[in-house]
Amino acid sequence: MALLEARGVTKVFGGLVAVSQVDLTIEERMIASLIGPNGAGKTTFFNCLTGLYKPEEGDILFDGRSIIGLRPDQITALGIARTYQNIRLFGSMTAIENILVGQHVRLRSTPLGAILQTPFTRREEQRAEKRARELLAFVGLTGKGDMLAKNLPYGDQRLLEVARALASDPKLLLLDEPAAGMNPRETEAMMHLIHRLRNELGITILLIEHDMKVVMSISDRVTVLDYGKKIAEGRPEEVRNDPRVIEAYLGPGILAETHP
Amino acid sequence: MAVTTYSSTSVRFRQKTTTRWLVRGLGVLILALVAWRVVTVGLAEGYPATFWMSQLINGLVLGGVYALVALGYTLVYGILLMINFAHGDVMMIGGFTGFFALQFFMALGWLQGPAALVALALILIVAAGMFGSVLTGVTLERVAYRPLRGAPRLVPLISAIGASLFLQYSVLLIFGVSPRVYQKPALIEGGFRAGGVFVPYTGLIIFVTSLFLMLMLYLIVQRTKLGRAMRAVAEDKGTAALMGIDVDRVIVFTFILGSALAGAAGVMLGFHNTVVKFNSGFIPGLKAFTAAVLGGIGNIPGAMVGALLLGVIEAIGPSALGIPTEYKDIIAFTVLVLILIFRPSGLLGEVVSEKRA
Amino acid sequence: MLLPSVQRGLRIGAIAFAILTYLVLVGLPLRLGDLALPILAGAMALFFWLALRGGKSKQDVFNRQPALLFTAGLSGGLTAGLLIAALLAVFVNLTSSGVRLQPIFDKMTPPNLAALYGVAPGAIVGGELSPLAWLQQALLLTVASGVGAALVLVERWARGRPTPRISALRWIPLLLPIALFLFVLWLGMPGVTFGGNNRGTIRLLAAMVTIGAGILALRAAHPGRERQLLSLLYLAGVAYLPFTLDQFQNSVLGIVFIFVMMGLGLNIVVGFAGLLDLGYVAFFAIGAYMYAFLSAPFSSPWLSAQLQSLGIPANAPLLSFWMALPITMLAGWIGGVLLGIPVLRLRGDYLAIVTLGFGEIIRLFMLNLAELTNGPRGLLNIAPPYLFGYNLGNPRDIFILGLIGSAVIAFSAYRLDNSRLGRAWIAMREDQDVAQATGVNLVRTKLLAFAIGALFAALAGQLYAARQTNIFPENFSLFVSIDALSLVIVGGMGSIPGVVLGALALKGLPEVLRGVDEYRIVTFAALLVTMMIVRPEGIIPSTRRRRELHEEAEPVVGEDVPSVLERLAPELKSDNPDGGKK
Ligand SMILES: Nc1ncnc2c1ncn2[C@@H]1O[C@H](COP(=O)(O)OP(=O)(O)O)[C@@H](O)[C@H]1O
Ligand SMILES: [Mg+2]
Repeated sequence: MALLEARGVTKVFGGLVAVSQVDLTIEERMIASLIGPNGAGKTTFFNCLTGLYKPEEGDILFDGRSIIGLRPDQITALGIARTYQNIRLFGSMTAIENILVGQHVRLRSTPLGAILQTPFTRREEQRAEKRARELLAFVGLTGKGDMLAKNLPYGDQRLLEVARALASDPKLLLLDEPAAGMNPRETEAMMHLIHRLRNELGITILLIEHDMKVVMSISDRVTVLDYGKKIAEGRPEEVRNDPRVIEAYLGPGILAETHP
Repeated sequence: MAVTTYSSTSVRFRQKTTTRWLVRGLGVLILALVAWRVVTVGLAEGYPATFWMSQLINGLVLGGVYALVALGYTLVYGILLMINFAHGDVMMIGGFTGFFALQFFMALGWLQGPAALVALALILIVAAGMFGSVLTGVTLERVAYRPLRGAPRLVPLISAIGASLFLQYSVLLIFGVSPRVYQKPALIEGGFRAGGVFVPYTGLIIFVTSLFLMLMLYLIVQRTKLGRAMRAVAEDKGTAALMGIDVDRVIVFTFILGSALAGAAGVMLGFHNTVVKFNSGFIPGLKAFTAAVLGGIGNIPGAMVGALLLGVIEAIGPSALGIPTEYKDIIAFTVLVLILIFRPSGLLGEVVSEKRA
Repeated sequence: MLLPSVQRGLRIGAIAFAILTYLVLVGLPLRLGDLALPILAGAMALFFWLALRGGKSKQDVFNRQPALLFTAGLSGGLTAGLLIAALLAVFVNLTSSGVRLQPIFDKMTPPNLAALYGVAPGAIVGGELSPLAWLQQALLLTVASGVGAALVLVERWARGRPTPRISALRWIPLLLPIALFLFVLWLGMPGVTFGGNNRGTIRLLAAMVTIGAGILALRAAHPGRERQLLSLLYLAGVAYLPFTLDQFQNSVLGIVFIFVMMGLGLNIVVGFAGLLDLGYVAFFAIGAYMYAFLSAPFSSPWLSAQLQSLGIPANAPLLSFWMALPITMLAGWIGGVLLGIPVLRLRGDYLAIVTLGFGEIIRLFMLNLAELTNGPRGLLNIAPPYLFGYNLGNPRDIFILGLIGSAVIAFSAYRLDNSRLGRAWIAMREDQDVAQATGVNLVRTKLLAFAIGALFAALAGQLYAARQTNIFPENFSLFVSIDALSLVIVGGMGSIPGVVLGALALKGLPEVLRGVDEYRIVTFAALLVTMMIVRPEGIIPSTRRRRELHEEAEPVVGEDVPSVLERLAPELKSDNPDGGKK
């Protein structure tokens, strides 16, 4: 059974069809990519998956059950986590606190338990903190746990977003342009991290990326959106040579020039 | 590297977002209850049609005044995205200034003179009220709001609450507790009958003046260069600044327009209620704000429609629902709460686009 | 350069004139009595100092050159002095020629004007004011402006010098509360004469300053041993206070700590969760009325009729203070949830206005539902708390109960702040959408904030009802909400010690300054606006709030450690318009 199955998802803003009849199937432990020019509807599609938008049409099955109409926090509890294209950390909280918020759905302590500091609450908090430090180490931010999120360097903020997403123990991780604005070495490190997420933690990954080198080298499968529609899908090599994809990226007429 | 994971808890949720339907259902239920109450209690009372007509007229007059104040809220909100909590008190200052002008013309004997002189005096009294309010409004903007531009939204709101209290209690300290009584000139005392319904002169004058001022505002916003600049700033401050618009100047101008309308409203409310007091701007201010929200805050025609509607609801409501008139303030607040809960964008406001993420 | 500095002086002078006029119109000179003129001049010197020192780079040009600085200062002072003197002369002339100003300006009486000139009121009425007094007026203000300008120079000179660092100085703030406490004890000893008739008031003030200084000292102390030791010491001191203060002092501090309880609750809603609630008094009222119903059912016509029909005697309390506690708390909790549900979808200012509406609706119901609440005549003869048959209704015991209540609530709030729920509150305050997508259940988190805050307010309300024994709808006006909100904001949003300090400053000080009580609200109001402009984070900011309100990154240890992935040029950041936070 596929981990995620989107069928005919459509999202409309006023007159603009941002996502149109998109089908997408993701198998477990896969690294899938979603590419397409700016404004193609990729982020909007993510927002549909995570419950921030409710699609007008279509169905989304996660682990075999429909998640349409669930609240974002319920979807997170089911096992989908995400990062954002433009980093959205809780700036005035420390890195560790950000990750602790990420664990929110997995913690069970109650307000009364917190006031009375019951043994359960205390143990849970200790465990959560330990796990937060582990995650911090996993993404390579050891020692920066007590810095405010907004004071972290840009690249570290991206990593912290990944750690916060991991904290909710997701089965599926959605990464929205994780390497945007990074230099080649940082991009390299991010790719390495994504591999480790799958290989060591067994997390399935769907990412949006603009850097073709990243997409081509990392993905098991690539899906291309243009004007909200899926125009191609397949293995990286197949997609790379698809004339429709080249046209979508470079504009009509380009093909005529390069392939007379 | 080892990362502890939680044993995956099985999580089950209800499929549909029931809350939305719950809220809608509640809204329909409330409307139905109100309708039922009106039919079984209000209409069963058997008031004559002329009674309802005169209530309607009362409501329209009050609504006209609310509209002037509501426009101030809406203009400022449209441009600064802040609720000028002190706007009602700006209106109250206008009421006081108008009162002193009234005393002055009374002393001059103009108000006992020929009709033309009385009319001129009345116009000057309204103008004085507008002047007082404009002075207050502009000072307020300069002292309490301008330094806070760009701060988190809670900060200017709190500052506005402070400013509101400051204005009220300064007036209390300076002018004392005793209310000031607006004496109507003999000429506009009384009224006439139209089809069995009594129409007071003051009511008619207030309503016509309100409409006239609203028309003026509309022309200023739509036809003048500054009005265009205002609309541009409301649309997008950054871009407007890039286009060479002096945003500060536009904001001051907005406060001038809003306060001028409030000042006129303050004077007219003085004539309508016959008194002004240090806190006589507070409740009308809240109601005008309600009216602005009712119509869709930031929306100029919305403020006018909302205000007239609120005025009428408030005038007719108690009799229609068969409840004591002491509850008329509760009606206004309830309308505010209900509107914000069920249709936060107001009657004429466009539906705010879905939140982005 | 001379002309611009004169212009600047004229501008400052005009503002000074406006302020002075305001102070005279609200009748301050009368309050200050003989000292009116020197005090006003001193205030003006302060104003000129603040106005002249500027702060923006543009104005620094003036400050660099003493001559220009003094030109600006003196021209401003002269303007203000002449204008106010002229205005006063007009007032005095009108008054002395028999025109009664009072129907218009409430405070423009001969004594008020006389106080400004330091003459007897008779001189004003009789028109016997010499031109010399007039001149003295104008001159004094000009001198004040000169002093203000000089202060700017002194300040600059002092800034330029290295500040002496004596480690012993660190102990002064830490030990100050102890010294103050001893002073309070000494004042209370029989036979001590100090401050004449005002000894009691001075003692109250000193007690309040002691508590405030104690809180500041604890923050200044090094965490660990030092702080623990001081905490114990100060806790013991505060616990001893009720036993040494007199009735009046205890009763003032009692109300202060009832407001601390309420402020701590509101702090959860506004400070932690970021939900601006202007109708908070509703929950205070729910607590008070709930206890009143349980304790004095005979005051409510409807309730006593019901009880009688059930055969229960309605002429005695149904439940004791302690038995009523859980019920009041439950009522507060339910109230918080019920008022919270409809406003779940609202944000920011809309929330503020709707909650304000709710607060007013509740008050209007209390006023008009006379059958249940006895309307404006209120609920009477509410029972005080009893413990082992001992009446705790006296001011001292109410103060102690307030202290205990505040301590319990502060402790709970502190633990909540550092819990899973507390983190969710902050996350929600910072970015609601992301918080939700990260897994925070917004409905639950918001409702818990409202409910817990309401519960604490209800507790405060019950204690208030027990203290007053009679409660009326007017005890629960919008101003209670505004008071509570002001003390949270002034103390520092989200800061628990800040609430105590805020309550001492806003509820306690006005009691001490009885004479200027009528200026209480304008002072508050001005303070609120000023605070928002200069220090929006409050007296004792919670560290987090401070970071939010001041954008400039604060030096944090290890801030300039380079990224593991190397630091990036900001312009490389993706500028895609999509996915943006609106
Ligand atoms: N909340 C919204 N309201 C209106 N239009 C939106 C909203 N979110 C996205 N859009 C529009 O939908 C289209 C797709 O955007 P997006 O999904 O962000 O593209 P991308 O593929 O670059 O991530 C764009 O034209 C964008 O302007
Ligand atoms: Mg995008």
